Amino acid sequence: MSDSSFEPKIVAFVCNWCTYTGADLAGTSRMKYQSNVRMIRLPCTGRIDPMFIIKAFESGADGVLVSGCHPGDCHYTAGNYHARRRWILFRQLLKFVGIDESRVFFSWVSASEGKKWVDVINEVTDTVRSKGPFTNYQKLNKEFTING
Amino acid sequence: MEEYIISLEDLKKLADNLIKEGTDLFLPSPDNSRFVRLKKADELKLAPEARPSDISAKQAAFPKCDPVLFYKRDKSTVELKDAEPSANQVLFGLKPCDAAAFGIMNKVFNWDYKDNFFNKRLENTLVIGLACTYSDDYCFCTSVGLSPVSETGSDIFLVRLSDAQFAARAVTDKGIQFVKKYSQLFAKGDSSKSKPALESIKGPARKFDSKKVKDWLDKNFETDFFNPVGDTCLGCGQCAFVCPTCHCFDIVDEDYSYSEGRRMKNWDACQFSLFTLHASGHNPRDNQAKRYRQRVNHKFKYYIDRFKEILCTGCGRCSRGCPVTIDIGSIVTKIGNLT
Amino acid sequence: MADIISIARGVFENKKADILIGYTKATSEGRTRPVIVRSADEVQNLVLNSSCLNNLATYLTRKENKGKKVAIVAKGCDIKSIVQLIAESQIKRENVYIIGVKCNGVKRSFEGEDSKKIAEKCLNCNVRTPHLADETVDMSDEGLTGKDEKAELIEKLDSMSAEERFAFWEEQFEKCIKCYACRQACPLCYCERCIADKSMPRWVESSPTKRGNFAWNIVRAFHLSGRCIGCNECERVCPAGIPLSLLNRKMVMVAKSEFGYESGMSADAPTLIGTYDLKDKEEFIK
Repeated sequence: MSDSSFEPKIVAFVCNWCTYTGADLAGTSRMKYQSNVRMIRLPCTGRIDPMFIIKAFESGADGVLVSGCHPGDCHYTAGNYHARRRWILFRQLLKFVGIDESRVFFSWVSASEGKKWVDVINEVTDTVRSKGPFTNYQKLNKEFTING
Repeated sequence: MEEYIISLEDLKKLADNLIKEGTDLFLPSPDNSRFVRLKKADELKLAPEARPSDISAKQAAFPKCDPVLFYKRDKSTVELKDAEPSANQVLFGLKPCDAAAFGIMNKVFNWDYKDNFFNKRLENTLVIGLACTYSDDYCFCTSVGLSPVSETGSDIFLVRLSDAQFAARAVTDKGIQFVKKYSQLFAKGDSSKSKPALESIKGPARKFDSKKVKDWLDKNFETDFFNPVGDTCLGCGQCAFVCPTCHCFDIVDEDYSYSEGRRMKNWDACQFSLFTLHASGHNPRDNQAKRYRQRVNHKFKYYIDRFKEILCTGCGRCSRGCPVTIDIGSIVTKIGNLT
Repeated sequence: MADIISIARGVFENKKADILIGYTKATSEGRTRPVIVRSADEVQNLVLNSSCLNNLATYLTRKENKGKKVAIVAKGCDIKSIVQLIAESQIKRENVYIIGVKCNGVKRSFEGEDSKKIAEKCLNCNVRTPHLADETVDMSDEGLTGKDEKAELIEKLDSMSAEERFAFWEEQFEKCIKCYACRQACPLCYCERCIADKSMPRWVESSPTKRGNFAWNIVRAFHLSGRCIGCNECERVCPAGIPLSLLNRKMVMVAKSEFGYESGMSADAPTLIGTYDLKDKEEFIK
């Protein structure tokens, strides 16, 4: 789609207890995956405000991944359930304002799923790479109209 | 004063020429909500019978967001670039209540500090005013020293003679030069043409004595007069943002990325609760009544004390658009009747 | 049935409330404005007609009205917001005295062509008879009619490509001047400090630039998702003429289709965002 030199920037918001530990496991197990992802660790997926995603896009992200504990595994019992409900709404809103909701990814990765983390990241990176840079949103960044 | 006749067709030709020269033309949008750039000259419409656009024309000299500078930084250096105010612009069909506002704002923007952004923009702006035949319950231009036919602030002033014909007066030097430049489009006329048209304009029904308003405000700072307004005022900034004379702004720095960004000058409004909030947490205007008192005082007292002008042109926008229909005209009329 | 003035007088005479929030005439014919009445002597200027557009519930959460017993004149849609405020624990049922209006629809706007049309929210109204009230009052039927243009626009937007939708909203949001009238008029925007006003860190850019306007309007719409009761005050008060109800209505539709939830109907049921279901969809989660 775009030129082959394009390397997407991907921001991953992950929960401390499952996905972050899962990613850690991938690292200590010396598994290799694409290095396009910038990880931000939060206590729980319930703490991940949809504004973070907007902010990530404002800061030049081409794709965003949100990842946490599997249903039933939340360290705080129900944070991921609340988050899931929020994401159902937020995806529809993104879609309605014309922001490509398929640039926002969600996954459940547990502390033992180092391999799954590697697969998710590789898949997300490849998908976003094929979509090309998120120019739609990025062009908003510097534009303003003085008048009219 | 020189008076000319120009047809609507020729005005469109004029607009076409200006667009081709790269001048930005602005006029009220078709739904009359705001001023928009005219893209095609045949879409030019002048409507003296329309209500003032919901949002005023002040953006021409004082935009809602205005870059002050751009910056870039790396590990050891910071690079600054000044923002350049915009190109030439012509404002078409401004009501006298819009045109007069630039002169009023000019005083505060050139009081101690000379605001180069405002000045440059105003310098690059030609104002084509239009005698106004609209009035409603919210208009009160005649009570603040203006009228539906006042030329204050206009470089060229138009009076509609018929649907297809306008009388044009060159009011300022800038206006005279402009007419000279496009003299093939302006036919010589005289005031006998526009006189009957102007005399037929009655102006708004609302009348109050702004001197009496100021007299009362001079003596009554601590008052519960504004409490009922404070009861229902929602504290949005609509009134200030649609106002042609409100000029408060806020300065913020914004990043594009870690190493790049801009400094912006954005509209601000005294009706916001955060407007006067101190870093300590103390807020001297801690309720909406006090904030509304500030709005009335600034317009009808402080600005007169400092600059000998009323900070209001009586366009009525703030009241017409107010979510809870707080009508500044009726409030100051009431104040005028208190003394 | 009693008229609004005698009902209001009764409220004070029987000490049912400390203050009453109602409507009174505004300067120009055909307009009303909100008013707060504090005694039986002040009730004679209250009015109730199809020009009573404001949703007065927005005053219930104000600092100065907290802890008071408040009587409020409320149409069905306004009562929905009161119900939602109770469900979200912002006000207590026993502190509001609801004068419910049996409403036949209000005007789309105070002036112009739209003043002859019925407001869009009234077309599919399911609470013309108040669903929660301490007493009720009739509003005259002025036989207003009109078409639901926004519903058609939502359908049209849904059928567009993402690019086209983005372009549509880019043009709309560009008009935003960040006066925050939408927020202030909204009965459910009751945060003491709005996220848009926080500057450490700055989440929503304060500039009315393209970026700042997108962020603000998305955040506003999201914070009302599953909560908005569709009074359309945000759209009515927007001086820039942004069709904000499109966003809210879309999210109301999503809440209904995804969760079968309708806000503002029951004060006892859990709110959409305040709860969860183990069976919530997750086909989009890897």
